[in-house]
Amino acid sequence: MSWKLAVVPERCSGCKICELVCSINRFGVNNPKKSAIQVMVIYPHPIIRMPIVCRQCKIAKCMENCPTGAITTKDGIYDIDGEKCISCQQCVISCPFGAIYLHEEIETPFKCNLCNGNPRCVEACPKNALLFLPEHVLGQAQRMTSVLKYVHMKEVEYVEKGERKVLRYADIEKGKAED
Amino acid sequence: MPTSKREKRKIKGGYFWKILWVDLDRAEATPLEFDEAFASKYIGGRGFGAKLLWNQLQKGKIDPLSPENLLVIAPGPLAGLYLPASGKTSFVSISPETGIYGDSSMGGSFGAELRQAGLDALAITGKARTLSYLWIDNGEAKVIPNEKLKGKGSLESEGIIKEDLKDEHIKVATIGPAGENRVRFACVTSDWGRNSGRTGIGAVMGSKNLKAIAVRGSKDLPVFDLPRLQKASEASFQSLRENKNFTFWQEQGLMSVIDYVNEAGVMPTYNFREGVFEHAKKINGYEMLSKYKIGDTSCFACPMACGNVCLVKEGKYRGTVVEGPEYETACMFGSNIGVQNFAAILKANQLCDELGIDTITAGNLIGVLMEAQETGMLSEKDLDGLSLKWGAEEAILETVHRIAHRKGIGNILAEGTFGVIKQWPQLKPIISQVKGLEQSAYDARIAISMALGYATSDIGAHHARAWTIAKELEMGMDWPLEKKADLVIYHQTLRPLFDMLGVCRLPWIELGFDEHRYAEFYSAVTGMETTLNELLQRSKDLYDLTRAINLKLGIGRKDDYPPERVFNLPMTEGPHAGKILKREEYETILDIYYQKRGWTKEGLVDEKKIETFNDPLITT
Repeated sequence: MSWKLAVVPERCSGCKICELVCSINRFGVNNPKKSAIQVMVIYPHPIIRMPIVCRQCKIAKCMENCPTGAITTKDGIYDIDGEKCISCQQCVISCPFGAIYLHEEIETPFKCNLCNGNPRCVEACPKNALLFLPEHVLGQAQRMTSVLKYVHMKEVEYVEKGERKVLRYADIEKGKAED
Repeated sequence: MPTSKREKRKIKGGYFWKILWVDLDRAEATPLEFDEAFASKYIGGRGFGAKLLWNQLQKGKIDPLSPENLLVIAPGPLAGLYLPASGKTSFVSISPETGIYGDSSMGGSFGAELRQAGLDALAITGKARTLSYLWIDNGEAKVIPNEKLKGKGSLESEGIIKEDLKDEHIKVATIGPAGENRVRFACVTSDWGRNSGRTGIGAVMGSKNLKAIAVRGSKDLPVFDLPRLQKASEASFQSLRENKNFTFWQEQGLMSVIDYVNEAGVMPTYNFREGVFEHAKKINGYEMLSKYKIGDTSCFACPMACGNVCLVKEGKYRGTVVEGPEYETACMFGSNIGVQNFAAILKANQLCDELGIDTITAGNLIGVLMEAQETGMLSEKDLDGLSLKWGAEEAILETVHRIAHRKGIGNILAEGTFGVIKQWPQLKPIISQVKGLEQSAYDARIAISMALGYATSDIGAHHARAWTIAKELEMGMDWPLEKKADLVIYHQTLRPLFDMLGVCRLPWIELGFDEHRYAEFYSAVTGMETTLNELLQRSKDLYDLTRAINLKLGIGRKDDYPPERVFNLPMTEGPHAGKILKREEYETILDIYYQKRGWTKEGLVDEKKIETFNDPLITT
């Protein structure tokens, strides 16, 4: 089963904690410029902030275009083999998301390798803008939201053994104004 | 620097040991190295700024808007690091607004980027021949003339410069037309709406023909023990996330304060005459959430995300988008001038950001004019034909424009409190200000510690040094004056320490973040085991230095009084109706305060103490 790192950009506030955590875990330094996930903020106004990170595409343009076969894949995770890489940066411009990064002090390009199956940025994100999910679950949150919206979920509070609980139920008279 | 010197240092992280000294007269930049004794004593941020200013003042008197004035931009040794809210930078200079020591800290990511460029601070003096911006590429500086930027807005300029340098990722701090026109309360803006707002630093940049500073940095930040920092930080982030108010704070940010202050009866209303605003619900955090907020924004490494991005979707201000409002702006452009339309506040906020004006001062002075018009102290002719009635949105926006461009009445307001008093001496008793800095958005007449905090703040009536109002309201008015003075001094010591380290005070004041953690961060980063008390002592010493600067510039006991109306104008409504501060009581607490600081009855710092700041630790 392959897992995906998914981004919910509308939740991102641009704090760069993901970048810091990545640079520390990946390169052992405090340097957001050495991070395989970086937040783009769009001018003219920071209405949207989008963390850019490798999506581990099944049809990977970076791998297709690498002239030396330096991009390898294992369990659906792509990484750059520093031995084979000639740093031509073809992968950097091939990636449709710009998710492969360069740094002047690092010889070869680098990209997200999902921290070997435990991406540290996900747990560090204070806004839950990063999700790590099994591939088949992607899109399920949106499906749930659309269903819940359709059935007009309501809540009823009750007390059980002194504890306050909430029961959610679908209001069958959908669309009726709340009383 | 020779390797041997480096090896001998006991401080093994936190610094690049480099301040970049930029002389705009010659368009030259020289790196200035400093010693570890300097780093240890002054720490960074406003500490570095105050010491460099002190040195500059020894050379002679400084006109704030002359090329001789020095502008220091200094993050701290913790800025840019993996720890909560490490995105603060101090802008320090002799203030054009007050003529004394001035500083204002900016959030966003500018400071973190400056550090990644390999600099501990920037010191800027002189004046560029034509309008220019300073480009710092990984520590290398270049002065780039660009007349195209003339008259351009702050945010617009940020975009132009990013395009000019072909990099969306750089950080740019800019001034708007107000800064260029030397409006004495012009601010500096970065990250599309993060401001170094107070004391008129934007005018200092304007007087130097310096439209902006652009920075790119990619260096590793020096940390002595990264695993130790990481461990301390992870626990810190965790503690913030576990706070029961964490999510609520992310949703509303500082806008949540409005309901609190209004219920407590200390909301600035109608030029600080009242403490309760009858329309508070129309300008509070819930109003923002339900109709205007479209996103959160954070400063560097901050999980609290208190920035609100708001958009007006309908009505005459449709299309207004702004990062804000902060609490201060919502009050100063809301309750303080009788505005009950949230969209109008957003419009004013956007205008001030783009023109580069401090919203606190602007809202304060407009409130003064409104009261003057209402009571007949000024005529409509005096007011340049503007009908400045409470809540008159269009007249307010027009006034803001005139200030930035120094047109008509705007030219008087642009001179700040002192300019207004010079033109209309009769207004002096109705202006809420200390030392020429207009009061920020908390009432002072019911909490004597808040009054003392404003009055003894080293930059004037701003809440950044001491915000004790909540504690005093909680503890009750019968709390001994001794304890209240202690509280003010603790605030004035801890809060400036945050500005020396390069971190934000909000995790501590709003979410109860334990201040002892900063000693752990500092120890991990520098490799010097240091306690919080040791750090606080350095901050307390620095308060003596900023006081010494102010004494040199003519400040004394006579200037350490809260705004006049706290003594003679009771509120008519709310929980504190009828209350005023007693003058004798204030004299007593001021005596106690001086005594606790080790200052004389006239508020003078001991000569021997002052002598300690004449150390040769840095020569400029």
